[in-house]
Amino acid sequence: MKKGVMVFIAAAFFAGLILCVPLAPAWSADPIVVGIPTALNSDYGRDSVNAVKLAVKEINDKGGVNVGGQKRPIKLIISDTRDMEPTTPAHDALMAVEKMILQDKPHAILVGFARSEVFMAGMELIAKHKIPYLGSYAQTHMFQQQFAKDPEKYKYIFRVCGYNVIAAKAATDAIDVLRKEHGLKRAFFITQDTLLSKGFVGVLKKHCENTGWQTVGTENIASDAADFSAVLSKVKSSKAQITVVFWDVAQGGTIMLKQWTSMKVPSLMVGFVIGACSPRGWDFMGKNINYIIQTEAPIGSGIPLKKLPKTRAFVEKFNKAYGKPHGQWLTSASYESVYILAGAIERAGSLDPAKLVKEIEKTDYAGVIGRIRFDKNHQVVYGDDPKETAVCLAYQWLNGKMVPIYPPAVAEGKVVLPPWMK
Amino acid sequence: MSIFIYGLTQSVTLMLYGYGFSLVYGISGIANFAHGGFYVLGGYITWCIINLLGLSQFTSAVLTVLIMGFLGFVFYWGILLRIRGIILSELVITFVAGIAILEFLNWKGLYGFYYNLLPFVEGDITVGEVSVDYQRLIVLCSGAVLAGLMWLFVHHTKIGLSFRGIAQEERTALSLGIESDWVGSLSMALGSALAAVAAILILPLGVLEANVGYEVLIYAVTVAIVGGLESTPGMVLASFIIGFGQILVAEFIGSSWMIIVPLATIVVILALRPSGLFGKFKELEERV
Amino acid sequence: MDKSEKTQFRRERLDRGIKARTDTIYAIASFRDMLYLILPRVLPLVLMVVLPLLLGEYWRKVVCYAAVYGLLALSWDFLGAIGLFSLGQALFFGVGAYMAGALNLYFEWPIYYTLPAATLGGALFCTLLLTPVIRLKGVYFAMVTIVIPILFSRTIVAGGIFGGTHGIVNLTPFKSDLLAEYLILFALIGCLFAFRRVIGEDYGLVMHAIRDDDRAVMSAGINIYWRKVQALFVASAVGCLAGAFMCHNYQFVGPSAFSLDYSLLPLAAAALGGPGTFVGAVLGSAILIPLSEALRDFGGLRMVFYCLILIASMILLPEGIFHYIARKYHQFERTVKI
Repeated sequence: MKKGVMVFIAAAFFAGLILCVPLAPAWSADPIVVGIPTALNSDYGRDSVNAVKLAVKEINDKGGVNVGGQKRPIKLIISDTRDMEPTTPAHDALMAVEKMILQDKPHAILVGFARSEVFMAGMELIAKHKIPYLGSYAQTHMFQQQFAKDPEKYKYIFRVCGYNVIAAKAATDAIDVLRKEHGLKRAFFITQDTLLSKGFVGVLKKHCENTGWQTVGTENIASDAADFSAVLSKVKSSKAQITVVFWDVAQGGTIMLKQWTSMKVPSLMVGFVIGACSPRGWDFMGKNINYIIQTEAPIGSGIPLKKLPKTRAFVEKFNKAYGKPHGQWLTSASYESVYILAGAIERAGSLDPAKLVKEIEKTDYAGVIGRIRFDKNHQVVYGDDPKETAVCLAYQWLNGKMVPIYPPAVAEGKVVLPPWMK
Repeated sequence: MSIFIYGLTQSVTLMLYGYGFSLVYGISGIANFAHGGFYVLGGYITWCIINLLGLSQFTSAVLTVLIMGFLGFVFYWGILLRIRGIILSELVITFVAGIAILEFLNWKGLYGFYYNLLPFVEGDITVGEVSVDYQRLIVLCSGAVLAGLMWLFVHHTKIGLSFRGIAQEERTALSLGIESDWVGSLSMALGSALAAVAAILILPLGVLEANVGYEVLIYAVTVAIVGGLESTPGMVLASFIIGFGQILVAEFIGSSWMIIVPLATIVVILALRPSGLFGKFKELEERV
Repeated sequence: MDKSEKTQFRRERLDRGIKARTDTIYAIASFRDMLYLILPRVLPLVLMVVLPLLLGEYWRKVVCYAAVYGLLALSWDFLGAIGLFSLGQALFFGVGAYMAGALNLYFEWPIYYTLPAATLGGALFCTLLLTPVIRLKGVYFAMVTIVIPILFSRTIVAGGIFGGTHGIVNLTPFKSDLLAEYLILFALIGCLFAFRRVIGEDYGLVMHAIRDDDRAVMSAGINIYWRKVQALFVASAVGCLAGAFMCHNYQFVGPSAFSLDYSLLPLAAAALGGPGTFVGAVLGSAILIPLSEALRDFGGLRMVFYCLILIASMILLPEGIFHYIARKYHQFERTVKI
């Protein structure tokens, strides 16, 4: 028994060691290696990885990317940073990326970190290794602040998806309509205790205060809350007509939605609540989410827009390959990041990071998410007109359908008040 | 009024979380840090039976409880018995087993809101001005019934009495013919069965996610410590104190402070009365 | 009389010949004997000096990482030697990391000042924090130590202090990676040898005595609280050093510095390697960290395999790997007829 013990442990250890040694020799110069280190055990991570795979397959099917006259396929390396899991320390996630960088030597990194803390730390790592990074997950606005402190050092890092305040702007027009055409004026604001949520709701709150809304209450709730009865009874007693919420933790989001219906809170929910903000939302939440107004950032992540054929094409392709996406944010941005990269490679004619970065900065074409251009802080520009900028939209759930209501360039309907509010 | 009802529900929820943990510790002296893992595993097995085998909720609940009981038994007999007495190893192994279970379920895809256990009865009822859904009332009643049944079990059945015997004085119990290995395994079986019962009752309120396990563990440990690690009435009282405390804090101070309540309670109790509220006041062992 | 004809065997364990010879001064009689004595002491030293030169860039980082966890495991073991069972190494780690980060960011101190300052300052802070609960024993002390890091990280996030949930970025890195690696390995070996010496001396004897029976030590007229505070100071200094190092190594510190991982992995490492022997702690982390990194190729099932391997090793070798190796090194077994 004891001998077996030693053999077993030695075997396990060495098996582990052997497995980690790269089995094949370093890849020949042929494929373009693109790394996707992200939080795989999360909806957005999973959807984004699928979107990237879709884009890569399309490009490879056409022969690959033209690098200085030679067509080369893209090879994907996917690894799990686990940074959306509660017990993962930031260093662990960074080690995952560092391992990928040092062993697989990717030419670019897509999707990227999820948690803001890890993303901020990761900026140092990416800057040190000088690898072009097109992020489409982490949405903290601290990225621009940090970038502006040293643009030359951080020049390898770009962000394709929006950040918290951008999606909020999509909801403001819906709120304006509720004020002007339906005369609502009392608003309640619920934030999750994260910067993302506070940023999002903050933009809407400022807008409301500037347009004559009356703030009847604000509540900041910890992310792991599992019971919203106290807050919801406050919403009821304050007679708020709309409630602006941003909640991205599945556990709390589902409970909040269920309690909302069971406590019969007569207030229209606006913003983002995970569970409601997904093409699969109706299948799981049913009538609990009827009439609520949610945001999609950027467009093309879930709703096929009548006015924009590119979004229809992408949503159809994605649904066919992977079924409906689980989340409704970021998927199309991840898809486009591949094309941004491919375009930059072709224009640069090489894989040299400095040249690639220059070409990525010059990106300007019309994609699924709208017109894609980067501003001086390496953030894709977002706005209201798909011909000028990338776009986020607000939509309303109406009896199982997601009806876009803002911006006007993509809207397909107007805001409808629920019957119990008339 | 709403404070009363929601406070009650929260307290009963905490009690359900902590029951299995406290029972196992009281009887076998092993702190089962895999409790959170068993909880989510119970929920997952129920989901599988309902959705993959198509059986009714009641049948799947019964089956799950039996399966989880069996798994708990095997866990104790197969793994924990080998290192019984080495406190460090017990700690590491149970905690790591919990992580293994939760990570496995994460890998299976238990995140997001897709895995859902449906409530037993849909709909809600209005009590006074408060609207409560039926599921919460079911949790409340079941919790009370469970506590009652467990009390009867532990005080009036042969197995229950042997549990208490081992908990009180192991050597004497051994000399009376109560086999501690067998009783230990049964207690772990009961502990994981209780975790499964808690999962079946509480998960329909929210969503079946693997990461819930970590929270459940923290709450279970909190409630057990504050109440006194070997005392069930203490644990029940502790869950009421913490549950109502949380709801009151949410109402009057702010919801983001809710999580501080269990943490602060642990610190206070450990500073003033380390054995917990009803734990036997073991001054010689707990302080120098 | 019909006795059973079957011969019965038993296993017996004897000291190896070479061990018996080398236990006396006559060890210097032959080089082989001297090698037998020196090898286990010098081997880790040699490895630690040579590894950073041999390994590739990624594995050097892993060695660094393992050394940091080794320091945390040593600190845990030191507290364990005096009877304080701690589940909160993350507290020391986080305090050290934040102190180094804060000094670097707000006061712009260079690394040569922040590292010692964070080590000693952090140790002072943690000792003062934990002194009130030093009277608690066993599992109660452990519970408090679990809760405090969680409290700290929630406060930092809720209060938005020290960078809040984003943490502090863009701190000064080490001048060169090689310097950083040698620094941490040096610290690890230094602590290891220091602790082993201390435990061997009278001071260590008193520590063990306090662990085994504190009332007896009290009745011998020794102030056990002061001894416990000293042990706490030393252990937290080591933990804070580890934290400060990681902070500068990654140029970043965030609330995840208080995560449970930093409390439990050192524990598991010490448990795997053999609690009570400081070498076991280092050995355990030298095995667990590379294992965890090597398992990354398994993707989502990485943690599952890691946990299963850990469970298997702890069941099969409950005394710890170091005891097993030591036994094999010094003794041999044979089957003997009764």
